[in-house]
Amino acid sequence: MNAVDVVLVDDHHMFRAGVRASLDDRVRVVGEASTVDEAVRVVHELAPPVVLLDVHLPGGDGGGGAEVVRRCVDVPGTRFLALSVSDAAEDVVAVIRVGARGYVTKAIDPAALSDAVLRVAGGDAVFSPRLAGFVLDAFGAAAGDVATGDDELDRLSAREREVMRLIARGYTYREVAAELFISVKTVETHVSAVLRKLQLSNRNELTRWAAARRLL
Amino acid sequence: MSTAPAPSAVPAAPARLPLRRPDSGRWFAGVAVGLAAHLDLPVVVVRVALVALVPVAGIGLVLYVFWWLTVPVGDPATDAAGSRPSALQRLARRQTLGESRRVPFADLALGALLVLAAGVLVAMRLGAEVDSTWVLPALLVLVGLGLAWSQLDAVQRRQGDRRRISVLRLIGGVLLAAAGVLLLVGESVGRGVEPALMVQAGIGALAVLLGVGLVLAPWWVRLVRELGDERAARAREAERADIAAHLHDSVLQTLALIRARADEPAEVARMARAQERELREWLYDDRHEPGTSLAAALRAVVAEVEDSRSGPTGEPVAVDVVVVGDRVPDADTQALLQATREALVNAVVHGRPPVSLYLEVGPSVVEVFVRDRGDGFDLDAVGSDRFGVRESIIGRVRRRGGTARVTSSPQRGTEVHLCMPVGGTAPSADAAGARPAAPDPAAERRTDPQEDA
Repeated sequence: MNAVDVVLVDDHHMFRAGVRASLDDRVRVVGEASTVDEAVRVVHELAPPVVLLDVHLPGGDGGGGAEVVRRCVDVPGTRFLALSVSDAAEDVVAVIRVGARGYVTKAIDPAALSDAVLRVAGGDAVFSPRLAGFVLDAFGAAAGDVATGDDELDRLSAREREVMRLIARGYTYREVAAELFISVKTVETHVSAVLRKLQLSNRNELTRWAAARRLL
Repeated sequence: MSTAPAPSAVPAAPARLPLRRPDSGRWFAGVAVGLAAHLDLPVVVVRVALVALVPVAGIGLVLYVFWWLTVPVGDPATDAAGSRPSALQRLARRQTLGESRRVPFADLALGALLVLAAGVLVAMRLGAEVDSTWVLPALLVLVGLGLAWSQLDAVQRRQGDRRRISVLRLIGGVLLAAAGVLLLVGESVGRGVEPALMVQAGIGALAVLLGVGLVLAPWWVRLVRELGDERAARAREAERADIAAHLHDSVLQTLALIRARADEPAEVARMARAQERELREWLYDDRHEPGTSLAAALRAVVAEVEDSRSGPTGEPVAVDVVVVGDRVPDADTQALLQATREALVNAVVHGRPPVSLYLEVGPSVVEVFVRDRGDGFDLDAVGSDRFGVRESIIGRVRRRGGTARVTSSPQRGTEVHLCMPVGGTAPSADAAGARPAAPDPAAERRTDPQEDA
């Protein structure tokens, strides 16, 4: 299996060095950037399958990681995984809303980070317990508010809610699958569906968060 | 005459101190003390010089009043530090010296004035030739002026209740001074004090004042608005400095501790974790008033466990906390929190990291999941006489009408699920507390290990 190429975007040199050292050989760092403009240039140049992106970045119009994602929508095949020391809802939702495929905090252990990169490269979404918590917060954790059809963007289906709750409780995808007697692939499908809703939904909570970051 | 403590007690800055009227060590309005600090002279010299200048056409008095009005109140040493570029300033506040007791010279001056007035009255009674026609109005004007000006200092010093009092002072002062001036003018024109003339003059003066006020109003409004803006900006700046000072203080302390104990990795990791938690809370969380947020209370519990407990091999364990929703804590959630704490301690001490904690606050129920990846344990193997899991976790929650369930297996670790009804459906604290801890059969079944829906 070929290693997945990754571009690393973070304004802290020490942190980039740390991430580079901690990624295993399933992942190869092909480029680095430390500002918004530099990141946009490098991503356009290399068109990597995955970009590990810090949420808080200097430069550009001050939009940070979200601005990088927005200015790189014309690069086909590149997916973004947000990596941040912040776990504030505004920061998370900001990058997810503009199209990042997942969000992990910098406290993640090295093996899990490599796993997350591979998962994003494979087109799946990466949900940390924290992100699952935000989703439940934003879509309302109460069981009564359940989506009935697949096309409904503003509510989670009962199954999606179950998956999110298990992830929030610290279950891995594999453990979620075992718990619910479904395949890991099905778990990934549910998670991707939730990510899509998170990006496209017009729920008040989400638009409010986005407005707070001046994304609308 | 006792020598008042001069501001030379504060550490002297190398450059000349700015001219301020300090609160400490002043006799009357602090002009002499401030001048002494500014000129780096003994305060006695300044006082003597001022007094000596009084007979010389009243220069001493005029100078004193001039500086009183124009020099702002403040501590020269603090303000000297404040005038440095903000980038060079330290963020933490300096220790202030205790304020010394002040001699109430303003009150003494007022008393002296009254005694003087009384003396004049007595002298007049005794038949002394006092030109009473101008003494009374002059006294009136003086008292009025004194009253009106006295608010200048009072406003700068006191914060609470100052508006009403300063308005009263102003009105009283204006009335007294106006009456005095009218009497004086009437006297000097030589037509006595005719009521009709007084009213006429009063109306004329009012009309002029009104016209001037109308002309100056826009300027005054702008001044007030700018003052408000500046105040808001300063408040923001002060808040930022407060936060920065707090952060720097705690981070610096932790770094110093870490350096001192660099050869104890477990301790270093624990301190780093505690510091990270605190910074995170300051940077990314809404800080709640104490006692209003269940989520904040839970975080405090987690912090306590992380700081005080270690894993099986002595290493500190970080707890991954996810919270959905929030509510005001009550007696029921307090019991839930205590049970959560016991479950957390179990997971940290006997389990294996990562330890996950999930709190979900619903409209009618609060749920907690505590999970570790240890080898698990058999609840039935734990003797019923032992107060570990059974009493401190399960019993505590059940007495409040909640349910507790422990799932444990060697492959998947241990998960404790606590569920507490809240709001209208919850039984009152007394009823729940009075009920004996007899387990109801349904809940007992749920506590069986290895059984999960």
